[in-house]
Amino acid sequence: MTHMHIPDGVLPAWLWVSGFLVMACLLAFSLYRLRGMDMKKKIPLLGVLSAAMLVAMTLEIIPIAYHLNLSVATGILLGPSLGFVASVIVNLMLAFMGHGGITVIGLNTILLGAEAMLGHTFFYFFSKRLSTYWRAALATVLALFLVSLLLIAIVGISHVDPQTYRHEQGHEAELERGHEAAVPASLTAFAVVVLSLGVIGWIIEGAITGAVIRFISQVRPDLLAHTLHKDTCRIDHTRCGP
Amino acid sequence: MIDVARIDYWAANGSGPFHRASVLSKLLFLAFVVAAAVACRDPYPLAAGAGTLIVLAALAGLPWAVIGALSLYAAIFSLLYAFSLRGDGWTYALLLLKAVTPAYAVGMVIASTPYPRIFSFLSAFLPEILAAGLFMTYRTLFLLLDMMDNFGTAIRLRGGFSPGNIVKNSANIAKGIGGLLVQAVERSSRLYAVMVVRGYSGKMAEASVGTVGVYDALPVGTGMAVLTAVLFWR
Repeated sequence: MTHMHIPDGVLPAWLWVSGFLVMACLLAFSLYRLRGMDMKKKIPLLGVLSAAMLVAMTLEIIPIAYHLNLSVATGILLGPSLGFVASVIVNLMLAFMGHGGITVIGLNTILLGAEAMLGHTFFYFFSKRLSTYWRAALATVLALFLVSLLLIAIVGISHVDPQTYRHEQGHEAELERGHEAAVPASLTAFAVVVLSLGVIGWIIEGAITGAVIRFISQVRPDLLAHTLHKDTCRIDHTRCGP
Repeated sequence: MIDVARIDYWAANGSGPFHRASVLSKLLFLAFVVAAAVACRDPYPLAAGAGTLIVLAALAGLPWAVIGALSLYAAIFSLLYAFSLRGDGWTYALLLLKAVTPAYAVGMVIASTPYPRIFSFLSAFLPEILAAGLFMTYRTLFLLLDMMDNFGTAIRLRGGFSPGNIVKNSANIAKGIGGLLVQAVERSSRLYAVMVVRGYSGKMAEASVGTVGVYDALPVGTGMAVLTAVLFWR
């Protein structure tokens, strides 16, 4: 849900170029934080979880046009920095599969990466008195909600006036009327659709992420409790663990 | 999700002029078509460009109809976006072509270029972890898709799927995804061990920009023609 299937050439150039720049900065920061890690051990896991995100995107919940992302689960398992790297990989792969535009890779990576980073942060921020299931589920819902607001903000500042695309001949009168009214109205409609349908999707994704993380904590607790995301553990060892 | 295995088969087994062109020229072709879509304010030149791509794909022996069907996936979302803009038929036509034309170009590139060649090219420019991650993701994707198919069959055969029972289905699907992740992590650990035995030292892909040849004229020329048509159409 929280990535844009907007075609190339719709968003203004300044916006998608800014998206690429911000993505590059976040990627550079993530790589800087990962410099002390054993990359050779991380790469197989990075590949698995990036592929898992791509496979999860095949699980579409048809009535609400929502597909799972597993971005928060990836963030919890990989850590914020490697989670962002996974988001870059997933969006590059999606673009080369013809799923989404090339120019929106930067913005989509920011959105997906924010889910992974926020989800990881919330998961380790919530009190350990909560069960693993509820920590992961709440972290997912909260992360998806915040990133949906970011998505609406991006669409809001980018929302292109339809008059821009209208044939100039025969539309002079419409052009003279001004375009201000259409933009807020359609943005409101977009926000209502995203937030109302999104709630259902967030709850489903939260429930599934919670169950997945709980299952992993029972079967392979080492995936949540060890040096896989050393960058977080380095900051606070007591927070690592289910 | 697009059938990655089929695309990979076409890319690896074709021998047309597009297959013989270098990755560099095909990515330039893609860049020109994307630039045309970005610059376009009129659906006619983009329609002409899309038509040219379809003819070229057919002549080059690419699965032009399937690529067209795949590119329509982008059309669905562009139409939704067009509806949100509350535009007219002109807006819909333009947004539809802005989505479909680059998607068709992407389809032509990936149906004629094995992914490892694309990643190998990108490795020359991307940080090592990204290049290696792309290779690893690509390798694991087929594995996971296969496991997912088996999981879907298993969950139905074992009565794990009950139409209408969302709670039960969600719980079973979540356990299945968790199981797949654990299996995939274990497989990746084994793969890592095998890679280490074979001398893996942190670098998976050989970075290669490739060489330029006579076949590169076709994709580069086509891309430039589409961009020129958009820029100078009156």
